[in-house]
Amino acid sequence: MAKEFPVPPVVFTPSTPTHRRHPPPGMGASPPPAFAPPRPSTSSAANPLPFMSFDVSAAAASSSSAPPLFAGPIGVGGSGASFEDEPPLLEELGINTRQIWRKTVSILHPLRSADPSLHADADLSGPFLFLLSFGLFQLLAGKFHFGIVLGWVTVASLFLYFVFSMLSGGRRGDLDLYRCVSLVGYCMLPMVIFSAVSLFLPRGGGLMFGVGMAFVLWSTRVCTKLLAELASSGDEHRGLIAYACWLVYMLFSLLVIF
Amino acid sequence: MRDISSLRLPSLLPVNQTHGESPGPSPACVERPSGGVLRRDLGGLGGGPTNPQANPFGSTLHGAGPGLLRTGLEAYGGRILDSSSVFMQSNITQYLSDPQYYFQVNSQYVRNKLKVILFPFLHRGHWTRITEPVGGRLSYKPPVQDINAPDLYIPLMAFGTYIVVAGYALGVLGRFTPEALTLQFSKGILGWFLQVILIKGLLYSLGSGEAPLLDVVAYAGYGFAGTSLAMLARIFWSYLYYFIMPWFCICTGVFLVKTMKRVLLGGPRSYERHPSRNHYFLLFLAVVQFPMLFWLSNISG
Repeated sequence: MAKEFPVPPVVFTPSTPTHRRHPPPGMGASPPPAFAPPRPSTSSAANPLPFMSFDVSAAAASSSSAPPLFAGPIGVGGSGASFEDEPPLLEELGINTRQIWRKTVSILHPLRSADPSLHADADLSGPFLFLLSFGLFQLLAGKFHFGIVLGWVTVASLFLYFVFSMLSGGRRGDLDLYRCVSLVGYCMLPMVIFSAVSLFLPRGGGLMFGVGMAFVLWSTRVCTKLLAELASSGDEHRGLIAYACWLVYMLFSLLVIF
Repeated sequence: MRDISSLRLPSLLPVNQTHGESPGPSPACVERPSGGVLRRDLGGLGGGPTNPQANPFGSTLHGAGPGLLRTGLEAYGGRILDSSSVFMQSNITQYLSDPQYYFQVNSQYVRNKLKVILFPFLHRGHWTRITEPVGGRLSYKPPVQDINAPDLYIPLMAFGTYIVVAGYALGVLGRFTPEALTLQFSKGILGWFLQVILIKGLLYSLGSGEAPLLDVVAYAGYGFAGTSLAMLARIFWSYLYYFIMPWFCICTGVFLVKTMKRVLLGGPRSYERHPSRNHYFLLFLAVVQFPMLFWLSNISG
């Protein structure tokens, strides 16, 4: 037997096309919103965007109705005609997807050397994507390594930054810690591909080792080239830097192989 | 990270919905009036607020996310590694000598030094460090020009190699987990620290405790080179380990003894005052390499 419960009557006043969630029963004219910011057009004009305005007075008055499903400032923020003028979300966050794609493609070709000028402006969103997909492929293999990968990337880039800046004797060129983290993250792309490929290889076989070594060498080559080019003093220590990068990517290959 | 309350997202629920009604055909997402086109002038960084509007809801983190992170990392990175001239003026110099000196290496030095560490019997030259007068005081030449000078690059790389090889050895035995590798890392740090204390204690008791701390750290770290090579050999054939490991223990012991003798000779107190005590201490240093390096290369511990 269905339980009877009183449903409060919903009244939609046709004169106010602004959308309100729970128009309080018994209130005729819509009260002016106490907390919402001023809108560009008057409230009687049709608002094409189905925005919610958080109506404090209405919510306080309609105690019998269910509380709204979300709290917090959901209404349009800003003064004036602000929503149309806002930049897109990705641009506000600084995620330039075109640049990320270009950098990714430049690393993808294993034999042709990457273009270092693309990496002159560093960003962390590409590496974040790579680390996330690395974790995802590891998850497909049954290993939950998200936090470990994050920690290891941090330690590895600190290590590389320390070694590189010590070796170049204080003339660090353009390299700073942000750019180093960005480089290490971008050069993880071959390792991400390796973790995808390793899903189809037999576990623990020699084939996995061989393929892993090839991908590690690819990562090392790209990382060394980018490090040496970006920080203008890195040419004479190429072999030394290469060994440090090789150690870092061997560490990540451990996660994939075992 | 951006404060979540400053994101101006439209409501995702259709607005006309009440509890009893089914949702109408209102769109679940809002079309942005400016489309998905990114404005190019921001580049990849977007530092600084782009719309400084008087916003009663806006938080102070609006638009400053990636720029803030970048400047923070730049500042930290620069502060961690000051240039050597500023370093010399700080108070740390009484405890730590300038680390820049230990990284003036090139690949030829690294190759030759590895040969000296792993096969010290074959080193034909002398073991003393070359000094040169700099600013009225005698100072040692940097590692690029002097094969006997200690450096910090090789110990750091040898330690990293030790970790990676330990990881592979664990994996081949089927016992690899990232926690086990972290445990091995801590063990390596502890072993390095114990070596430092051993060498420093030896130098103090024999009278020349003024050797710089980073020198001792460098000498202590050279042992990892042989250890990681022996562990690498163990991966391929386990019996090889029982031949190679004692060899590298002896080599590291001999290397340390010869180096310490030179360090002691360079000290203020004369070396010949207690020759037998010096010899016993140096012998002890060489012998204790055996349990130390065996313990370090033991994976299951």
